[in-house]
Amino acid sequence: MSNETLLEIRDISKFYGNIIALRDITTSVQAGAVTCVLGDNGAGKSTFIKILAGAHQQSEGRLFVEGEEVMFNSPREALARGIATVYQDLAVVPLMSVWRNFFLGSEPTKLGFLNVVDREKASSIAKGELAKMGIDIRDTEQPVGTLSGGERQSVAIARAAYFGAKVLILDEPTSALGVKQSGVVLRYIVEARNRGLGVIFITHNPHHAWPVGDRFMILNRGQSLGDFAKEELTKDELTQLMAGGTELADLQHELAQATAGGGGAS
Amino acid sequence: MADVTNGEELAETANEEEAAAPAAPADSAGDERLAYRGPIQRLLTRPEIGALIGTGAIWMVFWAVSDVFGTTPGTNSFLDVSTSLGIMAVAVALLMIGGEFDLSSGAMTGATGMLVVLLVKDTGELGGLGLPLFVAIPVTFLFAMGIGWVNGTLVEKTGLPSFIVTLGTFFTLRGAKLGFSKLFTDKVIVEGLDDAPDYEFWSNIFGGVWVRNNHLWENFLGGRDMVFAILAVLGAAALILAVLEQSLTRNAELKKASFATAGVGTVAALLGLIMLTQTDGTGANWIWSLVMGAGLLLGIMGYARLRFEISLPDRGSLTLGGPVGIRVLIGLGLVAAGVIFGTWLSSDSEYVIGILLTTQGLRAILFSGLVILGVIMMLIAARKADESPLTRFLITVLTAGVIAAVGFIIQSEADSRKFRAEFFAWIMLAALVLLIAAVIRLLFEQRRRTDPAADKLGRILAAVSMVLFAAAIALKLLWSTAAENEGAGITTYRVSILYFFLFAIFATWLLMRTKFGSWTFAVGGNKNAARQVGVPAARTKTQLFMMVSGAAWLVGMLIAFRLNSVQANVGDGNEFLYIIAAVVGGNLLTGGYGSAAGAAIGALIMAMSFQGIPFAGWNSDWRWLFVGVILLLAVMVNNYVRGKAEASK
Repeated sequence: MSNETLLEIRDISKFYGNIIALRDITTSVQAGAVTCVLGDNGAGKSTFIKILAGAHQQSEGRLFVEGEEVMFNSPREALARGIATVYQDLAVVPLMSVWRNFFLGSEPTKLGFLNVVDREKASSIAKGELAKMGIDIRDTEQPVGTLSGGERQSVAIARAAYFGAKVLILDEPTSALGVKQSGVVLRYIVEARNRGLGVIFITHNPHHAWPVGDRFMILNRGQSLGDFAKEELTKDELTQLMAGGTELADLQHELAQATAGGGGAS
Repeated sequence: MADVTNGEELAETANEEEAAAPAAPADSAGDERLAYRGPIQRLLTRPEIGALIGTGAIWMVFWAVSDVFGTTPGTNSFLDVSTSLGIMAVAVALLMIGGEFDLSSGAMTGATGMLVVLLVKDTGELGGLGLPLFVAIPVTFLFAMGIGWVNGTLVEKTGLPSFIVTLGTFFTLRGAKLGFSKLFTDKVIVEGLDDAPDYEFWSNIFGGVWVRNNHLWENFLGGRDMVFAILAVLGAAALILAVLEQSLTRNAELKKASFATAGVGTVAALLGLIMLTQTDGTGANWIWSLVMGAGLLLGIMGYARLRFEISLPDRGSLTLGGPVGIRVLIGLGLVAAGVIFGTWLSSDSEYVIGILLTTQGLRAILFSGLVILGVIMMLIAARKADESPLTRFLITVLTAGVIAAVGFIIQSEADSRKFRAEFFAWIMLAALVLLIAAVIRLLFEQRRRTDPAADKLGRILAAVSMVLFAAAIALKLLWSTAAENEGAGITTYRVSILYFFLFAIFATWLLMRTKFGSWTFAVGGNKNAARQVGVPAARTKTQLFMMVSGAAWLVGMLIAFRLNSVQANVGDGNEFLYIIAAVVGGNLLTGGYGSAAGAAIGALIMAMSFQGIPFAGWNSDWRWLFVGVILLLAVMVNNYVRGKAEASK
């Protein structure tokens, strides 16, 4: 695992008029490592992704890609620098086949100006790349909609990796999935990491983040509660930070009382 | 706190997985994978399939009730009606797959037709342009492209539904047509396209005809019918091989001993066929029919033995208990009821029951309806008996026998040659195919895995057979025999039919094979995802709108050159017919799924019902009712197919 820093985020802030969406966020992404960005709803996760993906521009602060300072004006620019974003709900076109989805927008063509898609090539590459991620697709002609939710995410991850992404930003890839499917996606995140990609894994679930993360940055109300390497904290501390420390203790206390009184909720 | 508990479990699983990550995860195999689908199942999930079956059914109905419909002039008449509808429906289907509608498409056909006439005309005191056609036609094309571009750009820039935007374009065009027509000619029609100096040349391109004749084949290769038979037999052979390749498991090596069986069978089948064509077909050509049937069975069995694995000896035992047996009994009962009605109601009576129905009609409906239902019920029973191959085999053979028996009843009851010979032959062929399929299924190992080489060969063979069948039908439609010329007279086809077929093929190729096609599906299926991965969504949609208006230009030219004049209201209201044809052809109203070929088939279905109703001697006012019912059926079938296509596990 190399420790080359792919993406460095230094004191980034974002203001919408007088609303402060993000303030002084600092973290980094190394090649072959997973940086988890945790935060509850409204913590500023979406704003953070959009800045990294080039959809929005930061108001203050600096971004470095492989040591070079950049400012993304469009998603295309971010993509050109090797930063690919996989959104939870926008990942794939369900009625299209696996290989068409895999190559959508970058189809290999033959016969020159006719732009005929080289189906065999596309199909075999898609199959091979998915196999590398551990997804064994029997028939790449099957519509993506017939795959499970986790596999659909994984197709999007595999394609981002294939098309030269160095940093993968995954927007809540597990939030809409069941336990088993979440496990599938986490496995592919590890797989992508092992292949030397830097991964930014955005989630609100510390139980998903902990097993795969190498670095954790916790957002709360637009502010960073800290940027930790895995050695610097424990899972319980992470969970506590995530829920705002004392707030969680209070909540637990309340719930304990409610459970005792109500005869046991779940 | 269920979530946290789940999370704990998950964390542990993920930790274990992390350790084992380099190895491919094993459990993603098993339950996530789909079983191999044979050629029939795969065919059944195509978006066009509902429409294709519908075309066959509707053709059969009109063929049965009308004397003209099945002949060459009848075919020409519905093909002619299908052209302008079909060219537009194909373009509209592409746009629908791309997730948009174009309500101005109908008015646009009239507008382009009218524009070309107005550009060519010298309108006197208002100072007409009097342009030659070689200028006027490209100018009209640019105009059409402009409208398409405006439609697309407005929809993309405003983000309004295309329904509203193109409704605006529709009224604009409709008003402009009427206004300009009145302004320039004081009438609601513009006339005089044939005044243009270079009219002759362009008239051949947009208004040309093909006269069906008997040249060329008169003495070539033994005449048209011989060439037709050769093409049809080769096509059938390729189709049989294609199905076998895709559904059976190949042997490691050829069983050479079976060459002889295959050869003898093939020779016998051909001999039987040749002898059958030498006779008039009305008599019961028992011996040769049997020779052909037996030869076909033997030949196919021999070939299968040569190349494919014999199935395991365990074929189960005969189990007719429960739902299977009940279904068989119900099926038999339905067929019997149909036959009883068919023979009981007199065939001579023209007595009218109620307002609409004659005894004849009632007889036909009861007979065909009950028999078809019964046969379907038996086939379902066979399918349900899948765990016992022997039961399945016996039920299928019984069904084939029932079909053959019904064929004989029809033959003995019917009084026209159409039913006595042609229909009888088709029924016997259906029974034979069913019988052979049952035997093959019982004796040979069904393939459960993909075999790329066999699948590829199967696809090629299937394509070859389709080309051969198409060539055979085209041959019969385009050339006549001397005898036919004396009988039914000469048929004249318009060149627009050719444009329709070429455009349908082009659009299908565009959709299935090119980058543009992929993008069309993507922008209709999930525009945001498409944009996310770099598909130029706005450009793709605008191009689709321009394709519709380009098609409208072609149809406009065909209309203008057909009558040399264009009425102001031509095309208004047809936009819904195009959408209906596209939907009937399996295109989803919601976009992202469908087929251009399906839209062409949908247009054929509508044209068949438009022309078939008057041919059948019914009042043509009924046709809208017909269209409505077809549309409802199509939407329901589409809904079902879509559910299958995107079924998540």
